[in-house]
This record gives sequence, C-alpha cells and structure tokens, in this order.
Amino acid sequence: MASSRNEDDVDDKGENAEGKHPEGNLLNFEPETPVESMLVPTDNFDSFEQEAPPDPTALQGDDNLAECQKITRNSSETVAEDPEKNGTSRSMSELSLVSDDSSEPQHVDEEVSNNAEWRSQEKHVFILSSAGKPIYSRHGSEDKLVTLFGVMQALVSFIGDDGDTVRSIHTHGTLFVFLIKGPIILACVCKTRESVSQITVQLNYVYSQIVSVLTLEQLTRIYEQRRNYDLRRLLAGAERLVDHLLIALETQPALLLGAVQCLPLTSTTRDAITNTIVSCCNKIKNLVFAILVGGNQLVTLIRMRKFILHPADLHLILNLVNSSESFKAAESWTPICLPKFNSRGFLHAHVSYLAEDCQACLLLLTVDPDLFFPLSEAKQKIVEKLRRASLLQSINAALAHPGTPVSQLGVPEARHFLYKCKATAQFWGPVPAPPYQTSEGAKRLLDQYRVLHHRLHAPSQPLKLLYLQDHAETMLGWITTGFELYVAFEPLVTKANAIGAVNKILRWIKKDENGLFITNAPTF
Amino acid sequence: MAHDSILSLKYFYIFNSNYGQKEGEEAQKILYFYPPQTDLDTQIKNVGLTEAIIKFTDTFNSYQKCESLHTLKTRQLYFQPEEGFWMVQVLTVPTVTKVKEGVDHLEYQSDEIQDNIYWSVLEQVYRSFSLFNGTFSKILEESDLTKLRYKLASYLSKYLAKIRLQHADILDVFHGIQFLPLDKKTFLHVQTLVNLLECSFPRVQHTAFLYNDQLVWSGLEPDDMQVLYRYLVSSLLPAQMECELQGGPMPRQSTSFSALHYGRFASGPTNLQNTDIGKIPKVHLRGGAGSAVCHLVIYRALSATICMLIDEAVSLEIEFFQRLDVFLGQRLTKLASEIAEQCSHSSSTVPVESGAKFVYYNQLNRAQKSTVHLDNRRNGNISVPPDVLKILADLNADFMDRKPSTGETIVKTMNDYWVVGKLSNLREFYVVIHQKNANLIEINEEVKKLCDSQFKSIFFNE
Repeated sequence: MASSRNEDDVDDKGENAEGKHPEGNLLNFEPETPVESMLVPTDNFDSFEQEAPPDPTALQGDDNLAECQKITRNSSETVAEDPEKNGTSRSMSELSLVSDDSSEPQHVDEEVSNNAEWRSQEKHVFILSSAGKPIYSRHGSEDKLVTLFGVMQALVSFIGDDGDTVRSIHTHGTLFVFLIKGPIILACVCKTRESVSQITVQLNYVYSQIVSVLTLEQLTRIYEQRRNYDLRRLLAGAERLVDHLLIALETQPALLLGAVQCLPLTSTTRDAITNTIVSCCNKIKNLVFAILVGGNQLVTLIRMRKFILHPADLHLILNLVNSSESFKAAESWTPICLPKFNSRGFLHAHVSYLAEDCQACLLLLTVDPDLFFPLSEAKQKIVEKLRRASLLQSINAALAHPGTPVSQLGVPEARHFLYKCKATAQFWGPVPAPPYQTSEGAKRLLDQYRVLHHRLHAPSQPLKLLYLQDHAETMLGWITTGFELYVAFEPLVTKANAIGAVNKILRWIKKDENGLFITNAPTF
Repeated sequence: MAHDSILSLKYFYIFNSNYGQKEGEEAQKILYFYPPQTDLDTQIKNVGLTEAIIKFTDTFNSYQKCESLHTLKTRQLYFQPEEGFWMVQVLTVPTVTKVKEGVDHLEYQSDEIQDNIYWSVLEQVYRSFSLFNGTFSKILEESDLTKLRYKLASYLSKYLAKIRLQHADILDVFHGIQFLPLDKKTFLHVQTLVNLLECSFPRVQHTAFLYNDQLVWSGLEPDDMQVLYRYLVSSLLPAQMECELQGGPMPRQSTSFSALHYGRFASGPTNLQNTDIGKIPKVHLRGGAGSAVCHLVIYRALSATICMLIDEAVSLEIEFFQRLDVFLGQRLTKLASEIAEQCSHSSSTVPVESGAKFVYYNQLNRAQKSTVHLDNRRNGNISVPPDVLKILADLNADFMDRKPSTGETIVKTMNDYWVVGKLSNLREFYVVIHQKNANLIEINEEVKKLCDSQFKSIFFNE
C-alpha cells in the first residue's frame, strides 16, 4: 500500500514521541480532518434519548426530503398492498417460521422455553407489538413462545402504567434489556458481557432494520389502524435481514465502533474509480447516493451535495447486500428506507455487482421510482469505463489481498488493534493473527474491545484512556479528539513497551492514511 | 451539578411467595413494607411485580440470582437472603433539569446509581438485622410469623430512618474494618490483657478490642466482626462519645478503688451499686461452629473499647459486672493511655508527595484503609470528586465480574484524574492521582512509590 503523503513530514512529527504517549503531551498523530465528510461523524453511543423518533416537523423543513417523501408515499402503499412485487419478499420461500398455518409438525406443543438448548442460547432477541403479538424471535419459533411474549408485554405495560419505563433486568450472568419504540417492543436476553447501552444500540439497529423495510410512516399507520396487527405478514423476508444483522452485530467491529472499513486502495486508484462513477452519473437527476462496496468494505461513496450518510444507514445497506445472494444473479430494483436519512419514506436502490469477474457491488440510490433504466444504463457505462482503465483489476487485487497482519507493521508487542478516525467515521484493523484467527479467539477479542469501548464511552463518565490487564491479554483504549485506538497486547507487556507500540501503530497509520481511509467526500 | 431530586429510598419490602398463595390473600406474603403508611394495594402491586420479574428471569436461567431491575425512574435491588425470602430496595433515580433548546428538560440520572454499592447496602441491612435478631427461619422456628413481622418492623423502621443512601460508595461494597497498627510491645500488652481477661472470666467466649473506631484485636470470625464493627462504629460508639463529651470522662465516684480509672460499661449496668444490670443486647453469631447467641457486654475506658461475648445461657448478675469492672478499670485505662501515646507519635505519617489518594481492602481479614475519605462519618467528606470516586466502584464491579486472581486497570478521566485499580491475592488497591500531563509510565511509578511507602510487606503483581 503506497502512500501519497510526504513521509518526511510524518517522521518529523512523530520523532520524539516515544515515551510521551499515551496521554502525555499530545503530539500530532491526529488524523487529517477532512473539510467535509461523507459520513456523519459518530462520537458516542446512541443513547436512549437520542434515539427518539425524529421530529417530523424538523424533517419537513428540508425541501429535498419533502420531495423524497412525496414520491415515496406512493411506493410505501405498494408495499403494503402487494408484497410480492417488492424486494423485501424475495425469499419468502426460504422462511419456514412466517406463515401462521405453519407446515411444521404440530406435535411439539410444548413451549420451547422448557428446552435446555433454547435456554442456553447466548443471545435471544425478541420483537413484539405493544399488544403482545409476536413479531420475531431469534431462537425458536415465535408461535411456541406465545406465553413468553405475553409475559414480556405484561411487564412492559405494567411498569408503563406507572408512567415509568422498563430498561433492564440484571441477574447473575444474564442481562435483559428492553427497548420500547412506539408500537414495538424489542427485548434482548443475553449471557454475554455486553453492557445495557451496547445492547440498546443493537436493539436500535434491529428496529432500524424493520423501519428500513417498512418505513416509520407505514409502521405507525398500521398500528394506528389495527393495534392487534400481525406484523409478520409484512415482514416476510425481513427475518433473514434481522438474523444476519444480529450476526454482524456480534462479529463485526464496524457496528461496535459506528464506523465503516474502507477497501485499501491507493488514493489515485480510488479517485479514478470515483471520477468514473461521477462522470457516468452526474447527468442523472435525483440520484442521492452512489455506493460501491466490496468484501464488506467501502470502495467509494458519492453523494448529492447537501446530504451525508449516517454510518448506521450504511451498515443497513451493507447488511442488505451481504444477506442477499440474489443480487449476485441479476441487477435489482429495491425500495429501502434509511432511518437516519429519512425514516418516513423509501429510497429506491439499483443494486448490482459490477461484473462476473469483479465482485464489488454498486448501489445507486434515488428518490425517483422510475429511474431503473437510466441507472441500469449508467451502471453499464461505469463498468465499461472501469474495465478499460483496468480499475476492475485494481479492485479485484484489493479484494483478493489477504489483508495486512499486525506482524507486517513491525509492532511485535501488539496482537491486534482497531483504529477509528472520528471525523470520517471510518476504521481500520489488521487481519486477526493467532491467537485470534479462530472463531472463538476472534469472539474473545471482540468481547475485549466491547469492554474497552463501553467503559471509554460510558454515558455517565466517558474516559480518555483505559489500560486493562487481564489473564489472556492486556488491553489499551485511548480516545483523543481525532481518533479512537483499541489495542490488544500480550498479557505481560510492560507499560513502556505498550506505549512504544502505540506510537508505532499511530505512525504507521498516519503514513498510510490516504490508502486506508477515504479522506475526501466526493459529490455528483 | 445541582440535583432537582436526590437519590432516595422509595420502598423497602420483604416478602415470601410461599405465603398467601390464594387469590385475595396476597397481603400475607408481605412481611415488611416501608414506608409503612403505603396503602395495601400499592404494596401488593409492588410485590407482584417483583415476583413476576423473578419468575420471568427464571425462564432463561434457572438458579441464578436475580439482582436488579432498572427502570427510567427507579432502581430496584433484589436480595434473597434465605430460601423463599426476598428483600427489595426500591430507589428513586436522581434527576436534574437541563435546558435543551430553551426548554427545561428533566433528565433521569440512572447511571448515578451503581448496582454493586446498593446491593451491598441491601445485604448489609439483612446482616445487621440477623446479628441482633437471628435469621428469618430461626425466628419462625422459635415463634411465628407475627413475631417475625414484629421484629422486622421494630428493627427496620429504626435502621431505615438512619440509612444514608446518598453518600454510599466503594466502602459500602467492602464493609471493611479499619485496623490500628501498633508496635510489637503495645500490641502484646493488648493481647496479654485479652488473654488474661478470657482466663479470669471463662464465661467470656470471644473478645474484641478497639481503639477509637479502629480495631486492634478480634477473636471473632471475620464475617461476624465485620457486622459487629459496623454496628459499633456507626451507631454505638458515636452515641457513647457524645454522652462522654457531655458528662466529661469523669472518674468513678466509688471510693472502694484506690487509683483513678475511667472505665465504664457501654452496654451493661450504668451504676455498679445498683442491682439493675441494664439492657444487654444479644447477638447472633454466624461464624465458626454453627450459630450461637451471645450477650454483648461492652466496656470502655478513655478511647479503648472491649467487647465481650458471653453465651446467652449464662445469666448475668451485678456481681459479675463488679468483678469485671475491678479487673478492667485500671488495666484498660493504662493501656488506653499507652496506645494514645504511641498513636500521637505515629500519626505524623509522611503525606504522599504526589497527592495520590488510595483505598485498600483485604478480603481475608476485611481490613480497609482509605485516604480518599477524610473522616469516618460517611457523609460525603471526600478528597476526590464524587464522579472519580464512582470509578473505584466500577473497577471493583469489573474485577468481581471477571474474577481474575490478579489484574490491573488504569483509567484517565476527561478531567485528567488517573485511577488505578489493582487486584492481587484477594487484596484490592485503588489509587487516585490528579496529574494533567503525566503518562502511563509516570503514573505507574507513582503507584509503585505509594505501595512501597504504605504497604511495604504486601506483594502486588506488576
């Protein structure tokens, strides 16, 4: 990965840094702050309060959004009336849990909750309506958990009757978290070491996923009209998205950090790709975002001036791409609501993989429902141009690259790290090397990062630095105005060596900043 | 930050679901409810909710204790001290008014309440109750539900009236004992007195020796001493000192003793010429060989206090107290002066240059030491900001959660306080340092220095 930056400049700044960091006098390891970011910077958890539904009056103030709503109102009705036609029901046949007249054998009339395997699941997620109708259960069929859903609804409404809201229940080893979102109740029962605020963020993601399929407007209207509505009818197919999202929440640091990882490319290559897309699309009106992703990483993102994308919305888009095999087969036209962008209406997404021989996925998002053919055409042009400039090869090479292990960075003390640039909401981490290459190892590492992240971002008392020595590793988390750094060390590392390693990591990141991160924010 | 409403005790109740299982008889489940004037309907509703929560959590994890319920406005802590019996403490979450976009906005500060602290406070209520009354099941064995309800009501109404919730902190998690370090000679004098006392008065089963509010010697099991110490320090001794201040430490008017001495019974007869032996509390000890009930006789001279535990089967007469007084009076007065002299020498311990403050706790002997707290009165007189003090309890909760045998955590807060937590062989050590431009290594050095000066003989893992 070459860097286009002047390296002398970097060394100069880092020169006498040894022994000073972390949290001595701050030297210039802060990332370059772009003038503008394509992503909303994320600094903290979404707290309960911040997660209140957006104020509709505030939304309507914006002309473009109003336009967006006007157009999408029609399509939201289409979804309600004709679920077969829209993308969300693509895989109805894949689902066995949806239909009421389930073909599953009926002899299992026992409640699943008596089942030891079910009880020992590490993380349960339940969604129900405020009337107690089951909507989703991660493990076990909702139909067999009716009593449990009833109890949860009763708890929520009993405490709600007092003008209070239930938040969480703590037992020795198990945590229960509730999130009440208008007509919907989300609950999580987990035996992990996650905190209430972290689980709340996850439940918010799950809720966003549902809004993304239905829009908030439709969701609200359904329950206004019929409090007892069985939402599963509309969410057919979305269960798979929720399942996939929950796995992503458990396994990907991106969702923990509220950031995205970029596909490492030299800045000239990335700019060339960006310019190609811009040149093919800048004539198309109402195109809001063009997003190119590959291997769950962002290649480039081009946006309509005025609009920026929230990382949480981008995570939903990535979740859609990652959980839909069908996009690989043919170009698709699918409605998607991005809750942070506008929870009240749909955007329309033209989704397609670049080519048989290039597995990067291009999403063109518009407010205009009639734009399928122009976008399809634009996509063909983009692919042709990219191919001619052998940029497809560059993308393929980057995708095929096994990733940089931490050993290549010359920091033997560190086993792994995550670096997040706060201003651009992007992060980078090396590929896991032993002892984290196994799935248990990776899980433990992410658990350790979660502990660090929680403590550093604790709503009551955020911290600047946390150094935690545990039996399996020593963890260091450090937050400055520009970046967040989380490092896993050998358990017996000395503090001097740890600090030395941190400095080396920061210097390395600084050197490769332009390849690892998208530092500009291109527009159409 | 000005709190609009502070943390307070909303409800406190004890129930047993095995009683009153028929519909309409739910009230029988309730053994105690605070505030007592709460209407029965509210009482039943609260107990019902707790029962529902416990049952609901049981669906997912059998045999794991249910600890707390967080709601927007309350924090409810659950404790099951004995099979079937649940104690519940409901706290109101403190609030502040914040101005957001020109509009007053009430914010509930749920994070102000740390579960581990208030759970310990709750557990302490039970331990204190059972020290003086015995366990719930024992009371039921010996008498009936009415008696249990009566005992709970009479003990808890006094206890809860005095409970200080707002300034509860890490020390409430430990409920530790402050020891008084003495030089070898003085310590041997104390031990000699205790041994001589126990030989001369075989009725005395256990003895504890305190100087001011610090423990010098204890023959009790640590668990029992911990609760007894809490009672002495927080309730008996302050009352004694107040009464001594008012009357002055007068020598006994009795002429039958040749030399002056300042000894008197803090629990026992106030006047040895009288046949009235006064009210002597009984304590229920848990430690050692099963549970035992003992008379608690306390004798004081100057700042020294001797607690003597005597089997409840022994009947106490005034003659016994007279003999005790003769035996202890002069000896204890002399010993108290000796300790006082030594304390005045050693009290000028070198202050730590860096201004580092620390809290230390040893799980094995329940020893606790704090320079974070400026006095022993537990009313928020502390040398570090309250939000920094909270971190100590967080670090403790984290240690207890992960249960490592050794571990170290270092944090730096937004306002440049460093907090270091160390756990090593059941010893916990927390240091607070305020140094803006220090780095991790310098802080590490500071902590090392502090360990060397304060805890020379204790090994802390690096």
